[in-house]
Amino acid sequence: MDKDKLNTFIHLLQKVFIQKQQQPIFDLGLIVKESKNQIEVKKVFEEIKKIVDIERIVYDETMSDEDAIDKIIDAFQKNKWVFLEIKKDIGSPLLNQLKHLANHNSLQLIDYQGKDIFEMKIPENSRMIVFAERDFIENKITYPHFYRLFGPTLSLK
Amino acid sequence: MNPDKIRYKSPEELKEEEIELKIKERGPEGEILGGIVFEEEKTIDPDTKEEKIKKYIYIGNPYEDRPIITKIETDATREEIEAIKREIIPMKESFEILEAMARTYKHRQPLLIEGPTAIGKTYLVEKFTELRYGKGVKPLDFYCSGQTDVSELMAKWVPKVETEEEKKKWNEFLKLTETQEKISQITEEVEQKENLSQEQKLVLIREKLQELAKSAGLSEKTQWRFQYGAVPKAMGLIRNPDGSVSFDEQKGTGFILHIEEVGLAEPQIINALLKLRGKMGQLAEEIQLWENGGRKIKAGPQFWVVFSTNPPEEYLARNEVDPALARGVVFKRMKDLSAESLDLAAEYYFTYKVSEKPKEKPEGCILDIYNHPEIGREIAKVVAIFHNEFNKELKKGEKGRQQTIPLTLDDMARVANYLIDAQIRNKETGRLDLTETLKQNIYFNYLDRLADEELKETMKHNLNELLEGDTGKIEFEGKARTRKEIFDILVERASITEEEKKKSEEEKRKEEERKLAQTKFDTLDKMEDLLKKLSLSEIPEQDKERLSLLKDRIEKL
Repeated sequence: MDKDKLNTFIHLLQKVFIQKQQQPIFDLGLIVKESKNQIEVKKVFEEIKKIVDIERIVYDETMSDEDAIDKIIDAFQKNKWVFLEIKKDIGSPLLNQLKHLANHNSLQLIDYQGKDIFEMKIPENSRMIVFAERDFIENKITYPHFYRLFGPTLSLK
Repeated sequence: MNPDKIRYKSPEELKEEEIELKIKERGPEGEILGGIVFEEEKTIDPDTKEEKIKKYIYIGNPYEDRPIITKIETDATREEIEAIKREIIPMKESFEILEAMARTYKHRQPLLIEGPTAIGKTYLVEKFTELRYGKGVKPLDFYCSGQTDVSELMAKWVPKVETEEEKKKWNEFLKLTETQEKISQITEEVEQKENLSQEQKLVLIREKLQELAKSAGLSEKTQWRFQYGAVPKAMGLIRNPDGSVSFDEQKGTGFILHIEEVGLAEPQIINALLKLRGKMGQLAEEIQLWENGGRKIKAGPQFWVVFSTNPPEEYLARNEVDPALARGVVFKRMKDLSAESLDLAAEYYFTYKVSEKPKEKPEGCILDIYNHPEIGREIAKVVAIFHNEFNKELKKGEKGRQQTIPLTLDDMARVANYLIDAQIRNKETGRLDLTETLKQNIYFNYLDRLADEELKETMKHNLNELLEGDTGKIEFEGKARTRKEIFDILVERASITEEEKKKSEEEKRKEEERKLAQTKFDTLDKMEDLLKKLSLSEIPEQDKERLSLLKDRIEKL
């Protein structure tokens, strides 16, 4: 894996768009593993972990959307970055939160943790990186504007 | 003046004219300053007779000759409104959308905006919410996708579980289609029992749900609670003075609900949304939820729904908005951003008008281009052309790709942002290599997402041609130059430090002084010669004295 590219990717994610009198705005990052690449996701995660404090969440058949959201909130509450590995088509509740994170850098949940509307901004030092394989994105993710949720994209060739 | 032609204007008419002038206000360079106007009005409370100040905003399209202006009450302060205005790039399309929002909001009509990704639908709904409620207040958002469930939108029964293990079991149970069907069946069956009161129906629903849990091997003692979805929540939401929110299904004030990508909604979602249709094209005043024993939820006076979607051609399956839904809303169809708007957006981004400029030069920044609008304007021209061309290519589709990647203005904003400190130095001059910096940032933000290598190469080639090729040449200070040449000239000028500037000015002054002294000496020499010649000639002594006096004066200069 090209470590320079990974460093640039992390650096770009750390960047903040400052809008006048607004809260900082930053992008979600996407790492796409191309089909010919043999690198293991664990290795990618370990490399990132050397640079930032990050937690891995594997979103697969064993994990519900609600659990994934709980884990994301938990990681953000600890000021950590999130490495979300997508291994099944994204369900509506999680997709809602990803879109909200991309649009507003916050999570918005109804009837959550005893609140009618639960809002949580991504802490200033936390970010989210979504990891998925190219073929999976192209063939399994049904949401047609998936790429649009992200800013910097790192393609692992 | 013919007295018959004099018409006295009422105070209302004069006020209208004053507001219209403010809406259409432009700056010295013709830039839009109006569009949104804040006003305060004194009112007398009819009950207490106390004087109160109410805050209002007027929204109109400043590009229109005769704009329709809508007045809405606001919780925002004047300063907040000014700050929000600065965050809106004054494109024609932005005001068209804001004006439609204001008008439909005032009349409690649902609005549907269909428009391409880059038009800023989501951003403008957010800004409209802030204009209405104050800075930082976000609308309630609901995003549709092919997998959206009606219960997320309306309501569902959920078990109260404590432990992780219990939660896991329940999640597995609840995600089964069979379970969902049974829950719907229970609520429907109970609803049909006309002889039962609403409370009795609720008790019966709970009992039946517990039986269902028991049959699945789960704890029958588990309590069930009814969880409202986005629609009822928005109808009965209350924004408290401390910024928190609460909910009252009967007395809530209501709030703004933004339902995004409604083109992706499945028929059952559309059916649920149709419940929102009320009388005379307005939103329903209440909805009835069968899942809750037929309980009615009242829509508060501030409840408003705005739908948004992309045009069908942006979706693979050409998802058209359902005709029944389209009939029940005010349908606003927007086209792509015009070339003028794209140029305006680019200029705003690259001259850093919509973002805070760094107070200190950040690490990685060779030249503070954010302080040089003359450079920003040239970059903006290049990026606007590239963005437009690339968007056209993307619309044709990528080879071997299911997913589409329409461009947004965010892509442009990102390039502007990265240009601040992701800069490359020209090894020969030691100054910023703007052409290479721009190329790299465009590759990263626009092209690296492409799966189609052929298209990527074509776009790289086109960008190169635009920056360095003959076809990309434009006239600059009276000469046809490539954009790279223009960038180099502007960077060189901007790179000169204050010290260098002073030094160069000092040198210029000295040079001028040298020239002046030379001229003086030359003149004196010539006069000397002239006087010598004249002394030999027969001209009056008086004239000779005059010439000599003139020579003295020049010497003293």
